[in-house]
This record gives sequence, C-alpha cells and structure tokens, in this order.
Amino acid sequence: MPSLRPFFPLHQIKLHSQQKYMEDNNKPHQIHLQILSAAAADAAHADAAHAGSIPDKTAAKKAVSRLDVLTRFHAGYFRISLALCGQALLWKTLSEPTTDARALRPVVRAVPSFAFALLWSLSFLTLATLCVLYAFRCALRFRCVRAELAHHVGMNYLFAPWISWLLLLQSAPRSFPRPSDGCYHFLWLAFSLPIIALDVKIYGQWFTQGKKFLSMVANPASQITVIANLVGARAAAQMGWRETAVCMFAVGMAHYLVLFVTLYQRFLGSNSLPAMLRPVFFLFFAAPSMASLAWDAISSTFDTSCKMFFFLSLFLFASVVSRPALFKRSMRRFSVAWWAYSFPLTALALAATEYAQEVKGEVANALMLVLSILSVVVTLALMVFTAIRTNDLLPQDDPFACFPTVRRQP
Amino acid sequence: MEKKDLQVELGTKECFEEALPPVLKLVSSQTVAGFDCVGYANGKNDQSQTATNYTSQEETLVHEPGTEVADTRGQDIVINLPELSSPIQMANHSRPFSLSFSLPSSPSGLHIGQTKTVIYTDKDKANAANGVSSQPPEQGKYHSQPMPVIEGPRRVPRSDSVRDKRFDPFKTWSGRLERQLSNLRGKPQEVEEEEDLEANSSHGAAQTDAVPAVERYFDALEGPELDTLRATEVSVLPEDEKWPFLLRFPVNAFGICLGVSGQAILWKTLATSPSMTFLRVSPTANLVLWFISLALMGLISLIYSLKVIFYFEAVRREYYHPVRVNFFFAPWITCLFLAIGVPPSVAVNLPAPLWYVLMAPIFCLELKIYGQWMSGGQRRLSKVANPSNHLSIVGNFVGALLGASMGLKEGPIFFFAVGLAHYIVLFVTLYQRLPTNLTLPKELHPVFFLFVAAPSVASMSWAKIQGDFDYGARIAYYIALFLYMSLAVRINFFRGFRFSLAWWAYTFPMTGAAVATIRYSEEVANVFTHALSIGLSAFSTFIVTALLVTTIIHAFVLGNLFPNDISIAITQKRPKFSKMLAHLRSSSSDMKDLDSSAPRVSQEY
Repeated sequence: MPSLRPFFPLHQIKLHSQQKYMEDNNKPHQIHLQILSAAAADAAHADAAHAGSIPDKTAAKKAVSRLDVLTRFHAGYFRISLALCGQALLWKTLSEPTTDARALRPVVRAVPSFAFALLWSLSFLTLATLCVLYAFRCALRFRCVRAELAHHVGMNYLFAPWISWLLLLQSAPRSFPRPSDGCYHFLWLAFSLPIIALDVKIYGQWFTQGKKFLSMVANPASQITVIANLVGARAAAQMGWRETAVCMFAVGMAHYLVLFVTLYQRFLGSNSLPAMLRPVFFLFFAAPSMASLAWDAISSTFDTSCKMFFFLSLFLFASVVSRPALFKRSMRRFSVAWWAYSFPLTALALAATEYAQEVKGEVANALMLVLSILSVVVTLALMVFTAIRTNDLLPQDDPFACFPTVRRQP
Repeated sequence: MEKKDLQVELGTKECFEEALPPVLKLVSSQTVAGFDCVGYANGKNDQSQTATNYTSQEETLVHEPGTEVADTRGQDIVINLPELSSPIQMANHSRPFSLSFSLPSSPSGLHIGQTKTVIYTDKDKANAANGVSSQPPEQGKYHSQPMPVIEGPRRVPRSDSVRDKRFDPFKTWSGRLERQLSNLRGKPQEVEEEEDLEANSSHGAAQTDAVPAVERYFDALEGPELDTLRATEVSVLPEDEKWPFLLRFPVNAFGICLGVSGQAILWKTLATSPSMTFLRVSPTANLVLWFISLALMGLISLIYSLKVIFYFEAVRREYYHPVRVNFFFAPWITCLFLAIGVPPSVAVNLPAPLWYVLMAPIFCLELKIYGQWMSGGQRRLSKVANPSNHLSIVGNFVGALLGASMGLKEGPIFFFAVGLAHYIVLFVTLYQRLPTNLTLPKELHPVFFLFVAAPSVASMSWAKIQGDFDYGARIAYYIALFLYMSLAVRINFFRGFRFSLAWWAYTFPMTGAAVATIRYSEEVANVFTHALSIGLSAFSTFIVTALLVTTIIHAFVLGNLFPNDISIAITQKRPKFSKMLAHLRSSSSDMKDLDSSAPRVSQEY
C-alpha cells in the first residue's frame, strides 16, 4: 500500500520550484533540487485515506494505488522507447543492401527476417503504451506534468516521445508508406511540430528567462533537445525536404555549440545531475553521432564534416567509457536511468555504419561490427533486467516522481 | 610576562639539549645573562632581546603593546657558534633547532618558524615550550629543519656523507629507492636512522602520499604561471637553500625544446617554400637548428627521466599543478615538431607507424585531461582554465598536420575534430574570464601568446588535410593573425615579469604564425603577404635569440636559471597562523580570505 509506506526523504519537485530557485540563486554553484520530506504529505494522505468510510476503503485504496502509477510515471520512462526504436533503426540500417559488410552479412543473414518485424512491433507497442500512460498523466495529473516541464532535467525528456516516433517512422518496414508519400510527410509534420514548439519554449528560456539561464540549468540531459532537432533534420532530409532539414540542423547545431561549451565548463560542477542519473552522460557522444548522421543525410555523402562529428563522438565515447567510477553509484540498483545507456550506443553504431559505408576498410568495418554488437548486447541486457526487476522500474524513490500534494483528495 | 619567562627558561633548556645541525649555526633568540649558547654581538638584555627579534615592518605590528622595537640592532645578521661541548643526542622527542636571525626576517622565514611550531603542536611532538613559543611576537625561534613531519628526531649527523633527508618526501617511494641504490653501491647504512624512518614513515606517508588538492594550488600560489608562493604560505622545503638540482628542474624546461624545434621548422619552411625562394635561405640553418633541438631534446628528456626515477613524488605534484600539467604535453609536441621539421637531407618520407607511436601518448593524456574537464569534479574547466591549456589542444593540431603531410587520411581528421571541439570550449571559457576562474592573470603575460598557437597550426593542418588553403584554413589563419595583432599592440603590458623557463614555450606560437603566414603567402602572393612573412619570421627569430641570451645570462651570470621550484612544495593544508598573520598584516590590503583573494602578479620576487 503505497499510501501507508513511509516515504524516504526524496528529491521532490516542488510545484513552486521557481521561487526556491531564486532564493538559491545567490550561490550559483550550489544548485540542489528541492528536497522535501514527504512524510507530511504521506501522513495527510493516509489520513485522507482513512477518513473514507470503511467499506469503501479497499476499493478506494485500489483506485489510489492504480492512479499512483501515474504519479510515479514520468517522461524519463521514454528512454525505453528511445532505446527500442533506436535499435529498430539500427537493425534496419544494418540489413540494408547498401551496408557493405562482408563480416556482417552472415550475421545479419543468420537473424531471421521476422526478428526485425518483431522488434519493430515491440517498439511500437512500447511507445504506444507509454504515450497512452503519459496522456492519462497529462489528463489526471497535469500539475505533475507542469512541474516536470519546469524541472531542469525533466523538461528535456519531453522531447523523447517525439524522437521515438520519428525513429520509428524512419525504421518502418517496407510495407509502410515510403518517405516520398504524403502520408509520411504528414506523420513527419505531426511529430516534428511538437519538437519545434518545445524548442521555442526551452531554447528561449535559456537566454531570456531569469531563473533558467543556461549556466544554471545546463546538464547532460539537455543534449536530448539537440538530438531531437537532429533526428528531425535527418528525417526531413530523407523525405527530400532539404531546406527544412538544414533549418533544423542549424538550430540544433547552434544550440549544441553553446551547450557543449557550457557543459564542458561545468560551472556548477557535478551538482547539476543527481548521481542516479549518471548514465545520462552517455548522451555526450549521442549528440555528435546524430549530427554526423543528419549531415550525412543532408549532404548525401559522408564528407569530412560528418567524419569529424563521428570522430568527436568516438573520442567522447572513449572518454566516458574510460571513467567507470562516474557510474558506480548509479549502478547499484536497477532503475529506468539504466535505459539511458542504450540509445547513445545505438546512435554511435549507426554513425559507424554510415562511416564504414563511406570508408570501406578493415578498421571501419571492424568498428561498425564492434559497436553494433555492443549496442545490441546492451539493449538485450536491459530488456532482461527489466523483465526480472519490473518492480524496480517504478520505484518509490524515483527522483522525478511527482507526489500529490496535501490538498488533493485521492 | 610569565610566558616569556617560561619561554626563556625552556629556550635555555632547549639550547643545552639540542644538537647542532651540520651546516647551520645555532643562535638562540633568548639571551640570558651568562648563558653560553646565546650570543649577540651587542649583548643587550633579554627583554629587549626577545622583543626585538622582529624588526621588519610587518612584525612591528605583531608586537605586544609596550614592547620596544629597536630597529638599529636588527640590521646585522649575527651568527654565533655556541660553545657546546659535544653533540648531544636527543632523548625521545623531536625538537627543532632554534635559529634566530636578527635581520628583518623574510616573510617565508617568519612563516617557517610559525608553521613548524604549529605543525609540532598538531602532531603532538611539541612540548609546552613549543606551544608557548609559537606566539609570534614573543619569540623568534626559527626552526631550520623544516621537515618535522617526515623526520622526527633530529639525529646528530655522524659524517658529512649522511643523506639530507629533508627532500625525501619528494623522492621516489619517499627515499627508499635512493637508499636501495646506495645500498647496492655499498655505502654504509645508518641503521638507527632506519628505525626512525620506519617510525615516522607513517607520518611521512600520511603527509605526502596525498597530493594537495587543486584548491590548495590556487590558494597557495599566485602569478600567471602559478609559480609564486603567496606571502601567507610556506613551502614544505627550505626556501633559503638550494634544493637538489633534479628537484629544481621543472617540466617547463621542455619549453626550450619547443621553442628551438619550432625555429627549425621555420627555417625549413623559409628554405623550401616556393614563395620564399627570393630570400635564398640555405637549408643549413634548418639542419643546424634541427640537430641542436634534437640534442637539447635528448638532454632534457634524460634529465627529466632521472627526475621521474628519483623524485617521482615531485613529478606527481607537478602533474597535479593546474598550469604545469599542460607542459606534460610538451615533450610529445616537440617530437612532432622534430618530425615535421626534419631536414630533407636526413629523411624525406617518415614511416606511418611513427605517427601512431607519437600520437599515442598525446591521446592518453588527452583522454585523462579532457575527461577531467567534462566530469565536473575538482578540476573542471571553469575552475582551472588558463592560457597554458592551449598546450593540451595544440598537440591535436600538430599531430593532424604531421599525419596529413605523411599522407594519412583518417587519423589526422580524428585529431583535428577532437582538437577543434575542445579548442572551441577552451577559447570561449578563456574569453569569458569566468569569476570562478582563479588562474587567469589580470595583466598580460607572455603566456597569452599561446592564444595564437592553436588557430595558426589549425589553419596549416586543415590546409594539409584538404589539400589546399581553402576557406576553413583562411578563417583560422585570420583569427590567428587578429589575435597576434591584438597582443602585439599591447606590447607595453608585457613588462615587469620575472623570467622563467616556460617563456620558451611561448615562442612557438609566434613561429607558428610565421610559418602559417608563409603558407598563406604561397596561396595569396603579393607584396604585403611577403613582407608580413618576412616580418613575422624576423620577429620570431629575434625573440628566440633574445630569449637565448637571457637564458644564458640567467644560467651562467646570475646562476638562477633553475630556482627552487616552490610551486611543488606547497603544504597540504593551509598553515594555521597565516590567517592570524594575514589579519594582522595591514600592509597588504587585499589579504583577505584566501578563497576570495584575487591572484596578484608579483612584479618582483
């Protein structure tokens, strides 16, 4: 019974987080999430539950517990869909005939063709479920959604559903409409317009709003906003809409430049991200990989700029992977943050695939093979972990869960 | 004051019981009438004696009220040899030697005295006398043996061949390697010192195994190269003595190789470039310079590897120094320069594996240092950014240039991409002059010329990668030119800085700009570009020559080419009395909390 279990002291998103932010702004290097002991809320909640009549108690508690799923569910769960849709795209790219991989071909042939369809369907179902859940959350717990939008890490994950839909669109099986169809265009518009709207809101906040200066809110998860633009640009380029593609690419790259510098400066030190979310550091090499892929789609060849982005992401991958101590604390317990490992690896593998197509050589092929296998293995491992420890997926002390305030009645 | 009396009395006791250091004479600051071990030439009475040990401006303030200061007496150093019959061994507690100069004490000397007593008090080795005697105005006990935490008891030296153990913490494995080696060579061992060493090794290990945190470097040091000790700090090694040569040999010395090998490249370009044929420069210049730089590189590498073998702790402390760490790239960049500037008569085509071998150490160092920037810990960029960081970026571009000229394709692009990304970050950070950034010198210093290095080398390497001097290369070149001009017109501000070996490293940007201009004049050939290339080359040669002359003067005439390397000898924790003294010393108005005090460039030291 979640209402009776004592809450641990948690990072809790206060609904009026902006005010607290201003108070803490005097010491810019000491950002901390608003920690509220939820014991008071819990007590009030329990009282409210007990205040109900006794025969209704069981039913009320059941309804409460189901709806509580909605409060603990947040946009970070879309990492799962990101990972799966990325995998689908990777498999599709690997099985394309343009992928010249003498080493890879036997592997790809060994995998039966229905496996890809299975993966795509799984991704589709996951994404659809998550979207439905989030729609319910928007409807019933809108205050939590607003709080999420205000949070400096949570706001970036609002891009994640749209990225997943775009990736799914790009990795659609052959029976699906082709990129030149109007249906495809319409879907692209449906998925990209929210990205553009969120861009305007969040990027505008970076330099105009007093409480949300970039130097205050920048954290590695902010690179998801850049990735969203780049994925949209790539999809647009594949549709043939070059100008739109270049536009989104430019927006993404301009903000990536600013964000990259800010993140490297680490004005706030390690305080911008809780230790549980360290897997998000993998996004450092996801963004240049996506930039490489996007420019590759725009310029139709894997030219020097694409290579430079790819090499940069390789270097950052080596840099992040050679620091296992960074991730020690987050690896103690399974959480949905672990799913953050998968998508960047997939993006890197995709970029390596494109690179190997361009530079046909042993080293490039070996690189593609290694990175693809790594990405597949990591995703499979994550799926296994999720299946085994489903309870941990919706933990009580998730940093970004939003708890009902005292005022609300169950 | 009873404190004074107690101190006087204990001073007496100490004087009797202490043993003599071999090289320093003992003068006690306490004069008691008829007391043998105390002597002052003028023989004043003890009250004024005690009070007048501090005669410098600063110590006047720390006197007790009502105490006189006799300025006149304090002008002579008086060193008397006390008439002690025989060296007496200390019983079981450590006691420092008392050494008192009646000169106005140098700030460091003052602090040595204060700090050592503090450390004694902390480590519980001091008795009450030391605790009492640590009041600054009362006593002028200077302790000449500055490593209490390492060597506890002061042993009487049996002979002059006893090793000076003061520098042990900086030696490899705290001196055990050296003992092993002298063991192998058959020197007699002092057995009892071994026991003390074991007993005190725990203290020593605790003190020196951990390198000071990066804040300590910022707190304790100042200056554009973070090489000057702040007035409130004290070094763990004696500042009034010349340290062993290896300990004084900084990693900045590799800057000499950088400067000279850069010159070799310049003269090679002048001799071989198609736009400079009208100068008819002989290739001999390049040959001679190349062999000189090769020899220099060999020599300096040999010396520094000796330092790594024998003084590994000192090398570690240099590695953790926020400015010096960038100089660890210098040897590898020099190797790259040597490969780029190799005379055509020596080798024309270098083997490709050589490039991988040369870039591997740079890659590993980069992974470490850029990763530190990114992971946002104590060494994040907003804290440690300083112009010397350019040295860690330039290596990428130089490697790309060499690889492209060797015909490699992907490797140069890799390093160019990595270098460009991190250069953008560093450039923005340095231009921002973030308030959290403590190391950026307020005045201009030759280190600012490093700003010119990265764009000029980047332009050349991009031109080599692309095959011609296209727009990207031109944009980078113009940026380099602009930065050069904006520094050159501020030449007035480059005055009044103490010469250091690191200045050699700041000459290679000018050489790089000259070479880039020559390359540019191959593309855009007109009078102006030719004149510019000649002018820049002449200027860079002039600067290197001037620096050579200065180095020779410092080496042979002044004898201080390798001063005591203070920046590696900072203490782990801030000395406790420094705060008190800092408050009391009203002479320097900006002596606030060390956290908030801005770094001051010391004009003379």
